[in-house]
Amino acid sequence: MILFNYIYNFFFSLRTALWLLVFSLITLFAGAFIMPLHEEFQVLHSTPLFEWIQDQPLKITWWLWTLIGILAVLAVNTLLCSIESIISKRKVTQWLLLISPQIIHAGFLFILLAHLLSGIGASQKMAAASEGSMVQISGENTVLSVKEINMSFDSRGYLNDWDVSVEYLSDGNVLHRDIIRPNQPSTRMGFNINVKDLRPYPREVVLLQINREPGAMWALIGGILFTLGIITLILLKIRMER
Amino acid sequence: MWILGLSFAAYLFALWKSPLLYAGLVLQAAYIFSRGAELGRLPLVGPHDTLIFLAASMAAFAAAFAIALKDRSRFLNTVATIAAVCTAFAMTSPQQNTPLPPVLKTVWFECHVVLAFMSYALFGVAAVFGGVYLQDRQNSFEGLGYRAVLIGYCLFTLSMIFGGIWAYLAWGTYWIWTPKELWTTILWVYYSFYLHARLRQWWMGRPMAVLGIAGFAITMFTYLGVSLLMKSSHSF
Repeated sequence: MILFNYIYNFFFSLRTALWLLVFSLITLFAGAFIMPLHEEFQVLHSTPLFEWIQDQPLKITWWLWTLIGILAVLAVNTLLCSIESIISKRKVTQWLLLISPQIIHAGFLFILLAHLLSGIGASQKMAAASEGSMVQISGENTVLSVKEINMSFDSRGYLNDWDVSVEYLSDGNVLHRDIIRPNQPSTRMGFNINVKDLRPYPREVVLLQINREPGAMWALIGGILFTLGIITLILLKIRMER
Repeated sequence: MWILGLSFAAYLFALWKSPLLYAGLVLQAAYIFSRGAELGRLPLVGPHDTLIFLAASMAAFAAAFAIALKDRSRFLNTVATIAAVCTAFAMTSPQQNTPLPPVLKTVWFECHVVLAFMSYALFGVAAVFGGVYLQDRQNSFEGLGYRAVLIGYCLFTLSMIFGGIWAYLAWGTYWIWTPKELWTTILWVYYSFYLHARLRQWWMGRPMAVLGIAGFAITMFTYLGVSLLMKSSHSF
C-alpha cells in the first residue's frame, strides 16, 4: 500500500513534472555541447533515431538515451495529471478553462508520439538525377523517372524559380505524373520526394531527397491541438481579467 | 540608414524622456516597411534585419504593456537600452540584399520567422519586468512578466509548428537535428518549466523574476550564439 501511494504520488504530481523538465533541460544542454563535437550526428537526420542510436558509442549517445527515458516518464506523468485534473474539476463552471490546458497536454503527447514513430520508421534516401534518370523509390518495382528540369534566373543570375516533372513507372507503365516545385513535394506511396539542391551547369542536375516520415501526420495533429489549447487558454485569461 | 541612426538616437534619448521610445519605434517601423518595399520581400534575413525587427518588436510590446503601468519610466528605460543596443549591432551588421532562394518564398517561412522574433521580444519584455521587479518588489511587474512569457510561449510554439510544416514541405521532414533545433527545444522546455513552476506558490515572486531574466539569456544565445557559432541550416 505504501509503495502504491508512493507511485501514485510520484506520477500524479506537478512536482514530478517540474523535476522531469529540469532533468530534460540538463540533458538537452549536455546534448547541445556534445552534438557539434562528433561527426556521427551529421547522419542522424538521414537514419531513424532508434536505428542510429544503437550503432553509436554510449559516450556520445548517453544524453539521448537519458532524454528518451525522461520523456517516457514525462508522457505518463502528463497523461495521468491531465486525467486527474479533468476528473477532480469536472463540476467547475468554466469548463473551457479546465479543458484548454489538457488540450495543450494532448498536443504535446501527440508530438511525442510523432517523434517516436519517426524515430522508429523514418527513412531518407538521396539521389542525383538529370533529365531521363530513373530512381528506385521503394523496395518494390516502382521507379521515379525525371522527365524535365526547368530553372529560371533573374537578371543578376540568382535562381528565382524551378520545377521538376516526374513520372512514376511500374513495369514500364506510367502510374502517375507529377511536378515538384519549391515547397511542393511529390507524395506517393508514403514517400515524400523533394528537390534538395539543383545545379544548372554543365548540365541540369537535381539532388532528389526521398523521405518517409511516419510521424508527420501525428506531429501536425499535435501542433493543431497545442495551438488550439494555448490560444483558448490565453483568450480565456484575458476575458477573466476584464 | 539615416532613419536607423535617428531611431538609435531616439532610443538613447528615451533614457531621459521615455516617450522618445515611441519615436524610435515609429522610425524603425518606417525603416522595416521601406526596406521590405525595396527588396520586394519580408526583410527578415540576416542579423541586420532581424536585430532591427527584434528591437522594434520589443519597443512595440513594451508600449502595449506600459499602458497597464502607473510608474513606467524604469521599465521603458530598460527596454529602450536593449532596443538601442540591438539597433547599434544592426547598424554594424551588413545588409543582405540578395533575393530569397525559391524554397524561402513561402508564407510558412514568413510566419515562422516573424512569430519567432515576436516571441523573442516578448521574452525580452518579460526579462525586463523581472529586472524591475527585483528592484521594486511590486507584484504587478512579476504578473506582467508572466503574461509576456505566456503570450511569447504561444507565439514561439506557433513558430515551431510553422517551421515544422515548412521543413516538411521543403525537405520532407519536420525535424532535422540541427544545433538550432536543439537549442530551440531547450528554450521551449525552459519556458514550459517557467509556466508550470508558476503554478506552485514557492516559485512566485523573486524566483520567477530570475527565471525570466535567465530565459532571455538563453533566448539570445539561441538566436545569435547558435547562428553565429554553430553550423546549421538556420545560420545567417
